[in-house]
Amino acid sequence: MPLITITLAAGTLVSMALILTYILGWTNKAFHVDVDPRVDSINNALPGVNCGGCGYIGCNEYAQAIVDNGAKVDLCTVGGDNCAEALADIMGVEIEISLPLRPVVHCIANYGDRLGRSEYVGEQICAAANLVADVQGCIYGCLGFGDCSRVCDYDAINVIDGLATVDYEKCVGCGACARVCPRNVITITPFKSDQIFAVTCSNKDMGKNVTKVCKQGCITCKACTRHSSLFTIFDNLSTINYDGYDPENLETIIKATDKCPRNVIRLVGKTPENNHDLPKNEDDSELALPDFKTTVDDTEWRG
Amino acid sequence: MDYFLDIFLIAISAALINNFVFYYFVGICPFIGVSRKIDMAVGMGCAVTFVITIAAFLSWTITTLILIPGAPLSSFVAGFFVTEAQAATIDLTILSYIVYIFAIASSVQFVEMYIRKFFPLLYKSFGVFLPLITTNCAILFACLTIMSNVAGVENPADAWGLGKSLTLAFCGGMGFTLAIVIMSGIREELDFCDIPASLEGAAITLIVAGIISMAFMGFAGVDSGLRKAMESGEITFRSQLKLPDSESQISVLLAAFTK
Repeated sequence: MPLITITLAAGTLVSMALILTYILGWTNKAFHVDVDPRVDSINNALPGVNCGGCGYIGCNEYAQAIVDNGAKVDLCTVGGDNCAEALADIMGVEIEISLPLRPVVHCIANYGDRLGRSEYVGEQICAAANLVADVQGCIYGCLGFGDCSRVCDYDAINVIDGLATVDYEKCVGCGACARVCPRNVITITPFKSDQIFAVTCSNKDMGKNVTKVCKQGCITCKACTRHSSLFTIFDNLSTINYDGYDPENLETIIKATDKCPRNVIRLVGKTPENNHDLPKNEDDSELALPDFKTTVDDTEWRG
Repeated sequence: MDYFLDIFLIAISAALINNFVFYYFVGICPFIGVSRKIDMAVGMGCAVTFVITIAAFLSWTITTLILIPGAPLSSFVAGFFVTEAQAATIDLTILSYIVYIFAIASSVQFVEMYIRKFFPLLYKSFGVFLPLITTNCAILFACLTIMSNVAGVENPADAWGLGKSLTLAFCGGMGFTLAIVIMSGIREELDFCDIPASLEGAAITLIVAGIISMAFMGFAGVDSGLRKAMESGEITFRSQLKLPDSESQISVLLAAFTK
Protein backbone atom coordinates (compact mmCIF):
# COMPACT_ATOMS: atom_id res chain seq x y z
CA MET A 1 0.00 0.00 0.00
CA PRO A 2 2.77 2.45 0.72
CA LEU A 3 4.37 1.14 -2.43
CA ILE A 4 1.31 2.22 -4.34
CA THR A 5 1.48 5.70 -2.85
CA ILE A 6 5.14 6.03 -3.68
CA THR A 7 4.60 4.78 -7.19
CA LEU A 8 1.68 7.11 -7.70
CA ALA A 9 3.64 10.07 -6.37
CA ALA A 10 6.61 9.33 -8.58
CA GLY A 11 4.34 8.65 -11.51
CA THR A 12 2.52 11.95 -11.03
CA LEU A 13 5.74 13.92 -11.05
CA VAL A 14 7.26 12.06 -13.97
CA SER A 15 4.14 12.38 -16.07
CA MET A 16 3.80 16.07 -15.22
CA ALA A 17 7.42 16.55 -16.19
CA LEU A 18 6.96 14.80 -19.49
CA ILE A 19 3.74 16.55 -20.39
CA LEU A 20 4.88 20.03 -19.39
CA THR A 21 8.26 19.67 -21.05
CA TYR A 22 6.60 18.54 -24.21
CA ILE A 23 4.17 21.47 -24.10
CA LEU A 24 6.92 23.98 -23.40
CA GLY A 25 9.08 22.60 -26.14
CA TRP A 26 6.25 22.83 -28.63
CA THR A 27 5.50 26.37 -27.43
CA ASN A 28 9.08 27.42 -27.89
CA LYS A 29 8.96 26.32 -31.52
CA ALA A 30 5.48 27.57 -32.23
CA PHE A 31 5.84 30.98 -30.59
CA HIS A 32 9.34 31.61 -31.76
CA VAL A 33 10.14 35.27 -32.19
CA ASP A 34 12.76 36.10 -34.77
CA VAL A 35 15.32 38.22 -33.04
CA ASP A 36 18.19 39.32 -35.15
CA PRO A 37 21.32 38.28 -33.20
CA ARG A 38 23.03 41.40 -34.43
CA VAL A 39 20.73 43.45 -32.20
CA ASP A 40 22.18 41.70 -29.16
CA SER A 41 25.78 42.16 -30.22
CA ILE A 42 25.14 45.80 -31.09
CA ASN A 43 23.55 46.29 -27.68
CA ASN A 44 26.66 44.89 -26.09
CA ALA A 45 28.91 47.19 -28.11
CA LEU A 46 26.94 50.31 -27.26
CA PRO A 47 27.75 52.07 -23.97
CA GLY A 48 24.26 51.46 -22.60
CA VAL A 49 23.92 54.98 -21.20
CA ASN A 50 20.56 55.76 -22.88
CA CYS A 51 21.50 59.45 -23.23
CA GLY A 52 19.58 60.05 -26.47
CA GLY A 53 22.53 61.75 -28.16
CA CYS A 54 22.15 59.49 -31.19
CA GLY A 55 18.63 60.78 -31.73
CA TYR A 56 16.91 57.60 -30.59
CA ILE A 57 15.20 57.05 -27.29
CA GLY A 58 17.66 54.59 -25.84
CA CYS A 59 20.53 52.33 -26.79
CA ASN A 60 18.17 49.46 -27.58
CA GLU A 61 16.11 51.66 -29.91
CA TYR A 62 19.26 52.70 -31.71
CA ALA A 63 20.33 49.07 -32.06
CA GLN A 64 16.94 48.18 -33.52
CA ALA A 65 17.13 51.14 -35.89
CA ILE A 66 20.56 50.11 -37.12
CA VAL A 67 19.41 46.60 -37.90
CA ASP A 68 15.91 47.36 -39.16
CA ASN A 69 16.21 50.75 -40.82
CA GLY A 70 19.90 50.94 -41.60
CA ALA A 71 20.66 53.89 -39.35
CA LYS A 72 24.20 55.17 -39.50
CA VAL A 73 26.59 53.45 -37.16
CA ASP A 74 28.53 56.53 -36.10
CA LEU A 75 25.73 58.38 -34.31
CA CYS A 76 26.76 57.38 -30.80
CA THR A 77 28.52 60.38 -29.28
CA VAL A 78 29.33 58.61 -26.04
CA GLY A 79 30.91 55.57 -27.63
CA GLY A 80 32.88 57.63 -30.08
CA ASP A 81 35.22 56.12 -32.60
CA ASN A 82 35.69 52.73 -30.90
CA CYS A 83 31.99 52.14 -30.75
CA ALA A 84 31.46 53.21 -34.36
CA GLU A 85 34.18 50.82 -35.48
CA ALA A 86 32.69 47.95 -33.47
CA LEU A 87 29.25 48.62 -34.91
CA ALA A 88 30.65 48.84 -38.41
CA ASP A 89 32.30 45.46 -37.85
CA ILE A 90 29.07 43.88 -36.70
CA MET A 91 27.01 45.30 -39.54
CA GLY A 92 29.71 44.87 -42.15
CA VAL A 93 29.68 48.45 -43.38
CA GLU A 94 32.39 50.99 -43.99
CA ILE A 95 32.64 54.15 -41.96
CA GLU A 96 34.65 57.25 -42.23
CA ILE A 97 36.34 58.47 -39.07
CA SER A 98 33.94 60.80 -37.30
CA LEU A 99 34.98 63.57 -35.02
CA PRO A 100 33.96 63.98 -31.42
CA LEU A 101 31.17 66.52 -31.10
CA ARG A 102 31.45 68.74 -28.08
CA PRO A 103 29.65 71.88 -26.92
CA VAL A 104 31.17 75.30 -27.29
CA VAL A 105 29.72 78.07 -25.14
CA HIS A 106 29.76 81.22 -27.25
CA CYS A 107 30.01 83.62 -24.35
CA ILE A 108 32.95 84.60 -22.21
CA ALA A 109 31.43 87.23 -19.94
CA ASN A 110 31.30 86.65 -16.20
CA TYR A 111 28.92 88.52 -13.92
CA GLY A 112 31.44 91.33 -13.61
CA ASP A 113 31.70 91.81 -17.37
CA ARG A 114 27.99 92.04 -17.94
CA LEU A 115 26.71 95.59 -17.81
CA GLY A 116 23.13 96.62 -17.23
CA ARG A 117 22.29 93.72 -14.90
CA SER A 118 19.30 94.11 -12.66
CA GLU A 119 18.02 92.01 -9.83
CA TYR A 120 15.71 89.36 -11.22
CA VAL A 121 13.26 87.92 -8.73
CA GLY A 122 11.31 85.64 -11.03
CA GLU A 123 11.74 81.92 -11.59
CA GLN A 124 15.50 81.37 -11.49
CA ILE A 125 15.70 79.45 -14.76
CA CYS A 126 17.13 80.67 -18.05
CA ALA A 127 13.97 79.88 -19.98
CA ALA A 128 11.97 82.23 -17.79
CA ALA A 129 14.63 84.93 -17.48
CA ASN A 130 14.95 84.97 -21.25
CA LEU A 131 11.35 86.15 -21.57
CA VAL A 132 11.85 89.13 -19.31
CA ALA A 133 13.55 92.32 -20.47
CA ASP A 134 16.58 93.86 -18.77
CA VAL A 135 17.78 90.92 -16.72
CA GLN A 136 21.14 91.85 -18.19
CA GLY A 137 22.23 94.27 -20.87
CA CYS A 138 23.24 91.70 -23.47
CA ILE A 139 20.21 89.95 -24.92
CA TYR A 140 22.25 87.33 -26.77
CA GLY A 141 24.63 86.00 -24.18
CA CYS A 142 24.63 83.49 -21.37
CA LEU A 143 22.20 84.28 -18.56
CA GLY A 144 23.82 82.03 -15.99
CA PHE A 145 20.75 80.55 -14.27
CA GLY A 146 21.93 77.03 -15.02
CA ASP A 147 19.37 75.33 -17.27
CA CYS A 148 22.22 73.64 -19.11
CA SER A 149 23.83 72.54 -15.87
CA ARG A 150 20.62 70.99 -14.57
CA VAL A 151 19.96 69.05 -17.74
CA CYS A 152 23.47 67.61 -17.96
CA ASP A 153 23.59 64.05 -16.64
CA TYR A 154 27.38 63.96 -16.55
CA ASP A 155 28.17 67.05 -14.44
CA ALA A 156 30.07 68.38 -17.46
CA ILE A 157 28.74 71.92 -17.62
CA ASN A 158 28.47 74.23 -14.64
CA VAL A 159 27.77 77.89 -14.08
CA ILE A 160 30.96 79.43 -12.72
CA ASP A 161 30.69 83.13 -11.84
CA GLY A 162 27.61 83.46 -14.01
CA LEU A 163 29.06 81.84 -17.12
CA ALA A 164 28.32 78.30 -18.31
CA THR A 165 31.64 76.49 -18.40
CA VAL A 166 32.16 73.07 -19.97
CA ASP A 167 34.32 70.42 -18.35
CA TYR A 168 35.59 68.66 -21.46
CA GLU A 169 36.93 65.72 -19.48
CA LYS A 170 33.42 64.72 -18.38
CA CYS A 171 31.48 65.73 -21.46
CA VAL A 172 30.18 62.92 -23.65
CA GLY A 173 28.62 65.08 -26.35
CA CYS A 174 24.97 64.13 -25.94
CA GLY A 175 23.87 67.64 -26.89
CA ALA A 176 21.36 68.17 -24.10
CA CYS A 177 22.84 71.52 -23.04
CA ALA A 178 22.69 72.93 -26.55
CA ARG A 179 19.07 71.86 -26.92
CA VAL A 180 17.96 73.41 -23.67
CA CYS A 181 19.72 76.79 -23.89
CA PRO A 182 16.95 79.32 -24.66
CA ARG A 183 19.40 81.74 -26.29
CA ASN A 184 21.24 79.10 -28.33
CA VAL A 185 24.56 80.22 -26.90
CA ILE A 186 25.90 76.64 -26.98
CA THR A 187 26.66 74.94 -30.27
CA ILE A 188 27.75 71.36 -30.76
CA THR A 189 30.93 71.52 -32.77
CA PRO A 190 33.20 68.85 -34.23
CA PHE A 191 36.48 69.00 -32.37
CA LYS A 192 39.25 68.20 -34.79
CA SER A 193 41.72 68.27 -31.94
CA ASP A 194 41.54 68.36 -28.17
CA GLN A 195 41.56 72.14 -28.20
CA ILE A 196 40.12 74.31 -30.95
CA PHE A 197 39.77 78.02 -31.48
CA ALA A 198 36.29 79.42 -31.10
CA VAL A 199 34.64 82.81 -31.16
CA THR A 200 33.31 83.14 -27.62
CA CYS A 201 30.58 85.67 -28.26
CA SER A 202 27.03 85.56 -29.55
CA ASN A 203 26.29 89.28 -29.69
CA LYS A 204 24.68 90.23 -33.00
CA ASP A 205 25.11 93.98 -32.51
CA MET A 206 27.97 96.24 -33.58
CA GLY A 207 30.36 98.67 -32.01
CA LYS A 208 29.02 100.90 -29.24
CA ASN A 209 25.88 98.83 -28.78
CA VAL A 210 28.10 95.94 -27.69
CA THR A 211 30.43 97.89 -25.43
CA LYS A 212 27.42 99.36 -23.68
CA VAL A 213 26.26 95.93 -22.56
CA CYS A 214 29.41 93.87 -22.18
CA LYS A 215 33.08 94.35 -21.46
CA GLN A 216 34.03 91.30 -23.53
CA GLY A 217 31.80 91.05 -26.58
CA CYS A 218 32.61 91.01 -30.30
CA ILE A 219 32.18 94.50 -31.81
CA THR A 220 32.32 93.33 -35.44
CA CYS A 221 35.47 95.21 -36.33
CA LYS A 222 36.14 92.55 -38.99
CA ALA A 223 39.86 92.40 -38.19
CA CYS A 224 39.71 88.59 -38.01
CA THR A 225 38.24 88.26 -41.49
CA ARG A 226 41.10 90.30 -42.89
CA HIS A 227 43.66 87.80 -41.58
CA SER A 228 41.97 84.46 -42.07
CA SER A 229 39.45 83.22 -44.58
CA LEU A 230 37.95 80.85 -42.04
CA PHE A 231 36.21 83.74 -40.28
CA THR A 232 32.99 85.05 -41.77
CA ILE A 233 30.70 87.73 -40.45
CA PHE A 234 27.21 86.43 -40.05
CA ASP A 235 24.59 88.72 -38.50
CA ASN A 236 27.31 91.09 -37.25
CA LEU A 237 29.00 88.21 -35.49
CA SER A 238 32.27 86.56 -36.42
CA THR A 239 32.02 82.80 -36.87
CA ILE A 240 34.61 80.18 -37.70
CA ASN A 241 33.96 77.73 -40.52
CA TYR A 242 35.00 74.42 -38.92
CA ASP A 243 34.87 72.46 -42.16
CA GLY A 244 38.03 74.18 -43.29
CA TYR A 245 39.58 74.18 -39.82
CA ASP A 246 42.90 72.34 -39.96
CA PRO A 247 44.67 71.72 -36.64
CA GLU A 248 48.02 71.54 -38.43
CA ASN A 249 47.64 74.90 -40.15
CA LEU A 250 46.66 77.40 -37.52
CA GLU A 251 48.90 80.36 -38.34
CA THR A 252 46.23 82.55 -39.88
CA ILE A 253 43.86 81.84 -37.05
CA ILE A 254 46.54 82.62 -34.48
CA LYS A 255 47.24 85.88 -36.24
CA ALA A 256 43.56 86.73 -36.21
CA THR A 257 43.43 85.84 -32.53
CA ASP A 258 46.27 88.25 -31.79
CA LYS A 259 44.69 91.03 -33.79
CA CYS A 260 41.29 90.77 -32.18
CA PRO A 261 40.92 93.93 -30.07
CA ARG A 262 38.34 92.37 -27.74
CA ASN A 263 40.08 89.02 -27.22
CA VAL A 264 36.98 86.95 -28.00
CA ILE A 265 38.77 84.26 -30.02
CA ARG A 266 39.93 81.72 -27.47
CA LEU A 267 41.03 78.14 -27.19
CA VAL A 268 38.33 75.81 -25.88
CA GLY A 269 38.58 72.15 -25.13
CA LYS A 270 40.48 69.71 -22.99
CA THR A 271 43.54 71.29 -21.49
CA PRO A 272 46.65 69.31 -22.36
CA GLU A 273 48.13 67.34 -19.47
CA ASN A 274 51.40 69.21 -19.18
CA ASN A 275 49.73 72.55 -18.70
CA HIS A 276 50.93 73.59 -15.27
CA ASP A 277 49.76 77.17 -15.61
CA LEU A 278 46.14 76.51 -14.82
CA PRO A 279 45.49 76.09 -11.10
CA LYS A 280 43.73 72.88 -10.20
CA ASN A 281 40.29 73.27 -8.72
CA GLU A 282 40.29 72.07 -5.10
CA ASP A 283 36.79 70.65 -5.44
CA ASP A 284 37.76 68.28 -8.23
CA SER A 285 38.46 64.79 -6.95
CA GLU A 286 41.60 63.10 -8.18
CA LEU A 287 39.74 60.48 -10.11
CA ALA A 288 36.82 62.02 -11.95
CA LEU A 289 34.89 58.93 -12.95
CA PRO A 290 31.95 59.42 -15.29
CA ASP A 291 28.64 59.14 -13.51
CA PHE A 292 26.41 57.39 -15.99
CA LYS A 293 22.84 57.84 -14.95
CA THR A 294 20.37 56.02 -17.11
CA THR A 295 16.83 56.94 -17.79
CA VAL A 296 15.79 53.45 -16.87
CA ASP A 297 14.37 52.63 -13.49
CA ASP A 298 16.64 50.98 -10.99
CA THR A 299 15.44 47.53 -11.96
CA GLU A 300 18.13 47.81 -14.66
CA TRP A 301 15.92 46.49 -17.38
CA ARG A 302 17.75 47.49 -20.56
CA GLY A 303 15.07 46.30 -22.92
CA MET B 1 -27.61 33.28 -2.53
CA ASP B 2 -25.30 31.87 0.10
CA TYR B 3 -22.80 31.04 -2.60
CA PHE B 4 -22.65 34.61 -3.85
CA LEU B 5 -22.33 35.86 -0.30
CA ASP B 6 -19.38 33.53 0.13
CA ILE B 7 -17.79 34.73 -3.09
CA PHE B 8 -18.31 38.36 -2.14
CA LEU B 9 -16.82 37.88 1.29
CA ILE B 10 -13.87 35.91 -0.05
CA ALA B 11 -13.25 38.69 -2.55
CA ILE B 12 -13.30 41.47 0.03
CA SER B 13 -11.28 39.44 2.47
CA ALA B 14 -8.54 38.61 -0.01
CA ALA B 15 -8.29 42.15 -1.36
CA LEU B 16 -8.67 44.33 1.71
CA ILE B 17 -9.05 42.62 5.04
CA ASN B 18 -6.51 39.83 4.76
CA ASN B 19 -4.41 41.65 2.19
CA PHE B 20 -1.59 39.40 0.99
CA VAL B 21 1.07 42.03 1.59
CA PHE B 22 -0.20 43.81 4.67
CA TYR B 23 -1.75 40.96 6.63
CA TYR B 24 0.10 37.84 5.57
CA PHE B 25 3.37 39.55 4.54
CA VAL B 26 3.85 37.48 1.41
CA GLY B 27 5.12 38.91 -1.85
CA ILE B 28 7.28 41.53 -0.16
CA CYS B 29 10.16 41.19 -2.64
CA PRO B 30 8.43 42.81 -5.60
CA PHE B 31 6.45 45.01 -3.21
CA ILE B 32 9.63 46.72 -2.06
CA GLY B 33 11.69 46.19 -5.17
CA VAL B 34 9.38 47.45 -7.89
CA SER B 35 7.47 50.14 -6.05
CA ARG B 36 9.56 53.14 -7.03
CA LYS B 37 7.41 54.38 -9.85
CA ILE B 38 3.67 54.13 -10.21
CA ASP B 39 3.61 52.85 -13.79
CA MET B 40 6.08 50.08 -13.03
CA ALA B 41 4.08 49.21 -9.94
CA VAL B 42 0.88 48.93 -11.94
CA GLY B 43 2.64 46.70 -14.45
CA MET B 44 3.97 44.46 -11.73
CA GLY B 45 0.58 44.26 -10.04
CA CYS B 46 -1.12 43.29 -13.30
CA ALA B 47 1.51 40.65 -13.98
CA VAL B 48 1.10 39.17 -10.49
CA THR B 49 -2.69 39.12 -10.79
CA PHE B 50 -2.46 37.42 -14.12
CA VAL B 51 -0.03 34.76 -12.97
CA ILE B 52 -1.79 34.16 -9.68
CA THR B 53 -5.10 33.48 -11.42
CA ILE B 54 -3.58 31.02 -13.84
CA ALA B 55 -1.62 29.33 -11.06
CA ALA B 56 -4.73 29.05 -8.90
CA PHE B 57 -6.64 27.44 -11.74
CA LEU B 58 -3.89 24.91 -12.35
CA SER B 59 -3.35 24.13 -8.70
CA TRP B 60 -7.05 23.70 -7.94
CA THR B 61 -7.40 21.40 -10.92
CA ILE B 62 -4.41 19.29 -9.99
CA THR B 63 -5.38 19.17 -6.32
CA THR B 64 -8.92 18.07 -7.01
CA LEU B 65 -8.04 15.63 -9.75
CA ILE B 66 -4.88 14.05 -8.41
CA LEU B 67 -3.76 14.99 -4.96
CA ILE B 68 -6.59 14.74 -2.45
CA PRO B 69 -7.72 11.36 -1.14
CA GLY B 70 -10.37 10.00 -3.42
CA ALA B 71 -9.29 12.10 -6.36
CA PRO B 72 -10.57 10.77 -9.67
CA LEU B 73 -7.36 10.30 -11.58
CA SER B 74 -5.23 8.79 -8.85
CA SER B 75 -7.95 6.41 -7.67
CA PHE B 76 -8.49 5.38 -11.27
CA VAL B 77 -4.84 4.48 -11.69
CA ALA B 78 -4.58 2.91 -8.26
CA GLY B 79 -7.77 0.94 -8.92
CA PHE B 80 -5.77 -1.31 -11.23
CA PHE B 81 -3.57 -2.46 -8.38
CA VAL B 82 -5.60 -2.32 -5.18
CA THR B 83 -9.25 -2.37 -4.22
CA GLU B 84 -11.49 0.64 -4.70
CA ALA B 85 -11.81 1.31 -1.01
CA GLN B 86 -8.08 1.36 -0.51
CA ALA B 87 -7.58 3.46 -3.62
CA ALA B 88 -9.82 6.12 -2.12
CA THR B 89 -7.53 6.57 0.88
CA ILE B 90 -4.37 7.39 -1.07
CA ASP B 91 -3.34 10.88 -0.01
CA LEU B 92 -0.88 12.61 -2.31
CA THR B 93 -1.12 16.06 -0.74
CA ILE B 94 2.48 15.81 0.39
CA LEU B 95 3.38 16.50 -3.22
CA SER B 96 1.56 19.79 -3.15
CA TYR B 97 4.55 22.15 -2.87
CA ILE B 98 6.53 20.49 -5.61
CA VAL B 99 3.59 20.15 -7.94
CA TYR B 100 2.52 23.73 -7.45
CA ILE B 101 5.96 25.14 -8.15
CA PHE B 102 6.15 22.91 -11.19
CA ALA B 103 2.81 24.11 -12.49
CA ILE B 104 3.48 27.77 -11.73
CA ALA B 105 6.91 27.83 -13.33
CA SER B 106 5.79 26.12 -16.51
CA SER B 107 2.64 28.18 -16.85
CA VAL B 108 4.62 31.39 -16.41
CA GLN B 109 7.05 30.26 -19.09
CA PHE B 110 4.19 29.43 -21.41
CA VAL B 111 2.50 32.76 -20.79
CA GLU B 112 5.72 34.67 -21.33
CA MET B 113 6.33 33.00 -24.68
CA TYR B 114 2.72 33.63 -25.70
CA ILE B 115 2.87 37.31 -24.78
CA ARG B 116 6.22 37.77 -26.47
CA LYS B 117 4.84 36.42 -29.71
CA PHE B 118 1.41 37.99 -29.86
CA PHE B 119 1.60 41.15 -27.74
CA PRO B 120 5.11 42.57 -28.24
CA LEU B 121 4.26 45.97 -26.79
CA LEU B 122 2.81 44.37 -23.67
CA TYR B 123 5.92 42.23 -23.44
CA LYS B 124 8.12 45.32 -23.55
CA SER B 125 6.19 46.91 -20.72
CA PHE B 126 5.94 44.06 -18.24
CA GLY B 127 7.57 41.05 -19.82
CA VAL B 128 10.57 41.32 -17.55
CA PHE B 129 8.47 40.81 -14.45
CA LEU B 130 7.13 37.40 -15.41
CA PRO B 131 10.29 35.45 -14.56
CA LEU B 132 10.63 37.57 -11.41
CA ILE B 133 7.29 36.45 -10.07
CA THR B 134 7.62 32.79 -10.90
CA THR B 135 8.69 31.89 -7.39
CA ASN B 136 7.08 34.83 -5.72
CA CYS B 137 5.68 33.55 -2.47
CA ALA B 138 2.37 35.32 -3.01
CA ILE B 139 1.56 32.92 -5.83
CA LEU B 140 2.48 29.85 -3.83
CA PHE B 141 0.61 31.25 -0.84
CA ALA B 142 -2.58 31.55 -2.87
CA CYS B 143 -2.19 27.98 -4.10
CA LEU B 144 -1.59 26.64 -0.61
CA THR B 145 -4.58 28.54 0.77
CA ILE B 146 -6.71 26.96 -1.91
CA MET B 147 -5.30 23.57 -1.08
CA SER B 148 -6.03 23.96 2.62
CA ASN B 149 -9.60 24.87 1.75
CA VAL B 150 -9.97 21.89 -0.57
CA ALA B 151 -8.08 19.19 1.28
CA GLY B 152 -8.04 20.48 4.84
CA VAL B 153 -11.75 20.84 5.55
CA GLU B 154 -13.53 18.31 7.74
CA ASN B 155 -16.76 18.43 5.79
CA PRO B 156 -16.16 17.53 2.13
CA ALA B 157 -19.18 19.61 1.16
CA ASP B 158 -17.33 22.72 2.36
CA ALA B 159 -14.43 22.12 0.01
CA TRP B 160 -13.88 25.06 -2.28
CA GLY B 161 -14.91 24.84 -5.90
CA LEU B 162 -13.23 26.49 -8.82
CA GLY B 163 -15.21 29.71 -8.46
CA LYS B 164 -14.11 30.41 -4.91
CA SER B 165 -10.51 29.49 -5.67
CA LEU B 166 -10.33 31.81 -8.65
CA THR B 167 -12.00 34.57 -6.65
CA LEU B 168 -9.43 34.27 -3.92
CA ALA B 169 -6.61 34.32 -6.41
CA PHE B 170 -7.85 37.18 -8.54
CA CYS B 171 -8.83 39.37 -5.62
CA GLY B 172 -5.61 38.52 -3.84
CA GLY B 173 -3.79 39.75 -6.90
CA MET B 174 -5.91 42.88 -6.95
CA GLY B 175 -5.09 43.45 -3.30
CA PHE B 176 -1.42 43.07 -4.09
CA THR B 177 -1.79 45.60 -6.91
CA LEU B 178 -3.52 47.99 -4.54
CA ALA B 179 -0.74 47.56 -2.01
CA ILE B 180 2.07 48.09 -4.47
CA VAL B 181 0.42 51.11 -6.08
CA ILE B 182 -0.18 52.75 -2.69
CA MET B 183 3.44 52.12 -1.78
CA SER B 184 4.77 53.48 -5.06
CA GLY B 185 2.66 56.63 -4.70
CA ILE B 186 4.07 57.22 -1.26
CA ARG B 187 7.62 56.49 -2.37
CA GLU B 188 7.35 58.90 -5.28
CA GLU B 189 6.40 61.60 -2.79
CA LEU B 190 9.17 60.52 -0.44
CA ASP B 191 11.69 61.26 -3.19
CA PHE B 192 11.09 64.94 -2.60
CA CYS B 193 11.30 64.75 1.16
CA ASP B 194 14.19 65.37 3.49
CA ILE B 195 14.81 61.95 4.97
CA PRO B 196 17.47 61.53 7.68
CA ALA B 197 20.52 59.88 6.19
CA SER B 198 20.26 56.83 8.41
CA LEU B 199 16.74 56.09 7.24
CA GLU B 200 17.16 56.49 3.51
CA GLY B 201 16.40 53.65 1.14
CA ALA B 202 15.12 50.37 2.51
CA ALA B 203 14.69 51.62 6.07
CA ILE B 204 12.12 54.29 5.34
CA THR B 205 10.35 51.92 2.93
CA LEU B 206 9.93 49.28 5.59
CA ILE B 207 8.75 51.83 8.12
CA VAL B 208 6.15 53.08 5.66
CA ALA B 209 5.09 49.52 4.90
CA GLY B 210 4.64 48.84 8.59
CA ILE B 211 2.53 51.94 9.06
CA ILE B 212 0.32 51.00 6.12
CA SER B 213 -0.06 47.50 7.59
CA MET B 214 -1.23 49.01 10.83
CA ALA B 215 -3.68 51.14 8.89
CA PHE B 216 -5.05 48.08 7.11
CA MET B 217 -5.60 46.45 10.49
CA GLY B 218 -8.58 48.75 10.68
CA PHE B 219 -10.34 46.37 8.33
CA ALA B 220 -10.07 43.48 10.77
CA GLY B 221 -13.34 41.78 11.52
CA VAL B 222 -15.20 43.37 8.64
CA ASP B 223 -15.78 40.09 6.86
CA SER B 224 -17.20 38.22 9.84
CA GLY B 225 -19.25 41.27 10.80
CA LEU B 226 -20.62 41.55 7.29
CA ARG B 227 -21.40 37.87 7.24
CA LYS B 228 -23.33 38.11 10.50
CA ALA B 229 -25.13 41.22 9.37
CA MET B 230 -26.17 39.82 6.03
CA GLU B 231 -27.12 36.39 7.30
CA SER B 232 -29.23 37.52 10.20
CA GLY B 233 -30.80 40.42 8.32
CA GLU B 234 -29.96 43.00 10.94
CA ILE B 235 -29.38 45.73 8.40
CA THR B 236 -32.32 48.11 8.27
CA PHE B 237 -32.66 51.10 6.04
CA ARG B 238 -33.78 54.23 7.79
CA SER B 239 -35.88 56.80 6.00
CA GLN B 240 -34.32 60.17 5.39
CA LEU B 241 -36.88 62.12 7.38
CA LYS B 242 -36.41 60.39 10.67
CA LEU B 243 -33.41 61.44 12.70
CA PRO B 244 -31.22 58.50 13.61
CA ASP B 245 -31.99 57.40 17.12
CA SER B 246 -28.62 56.83 18.75
CA GLU B 247 -29.84 54.36 21.35
CA SER B 248 -31.52 52.01 18.95
CA GLN B 249 -28.49 52.27 16.65
CA ILE B 250 -26.14 51.08 19.38
CA SER B 251 -28.49 48.26 20.38
CA VAL B 252 -28.59 47.05 16.77
CA LEU B 253 -24.80 47.04 16.57
CA LEU B 254 -24.48 45.21 19.88
CA ALA B 255 -27.06 42.66 18.77
CA ALA B 256 -25.12 42.05 15.54
CA PHE B 257 -21.76 41.52 17.20
CA THR B 258 -22.83 39.54 20.21
CA LYS B 259 -25.04 37.06 18.31
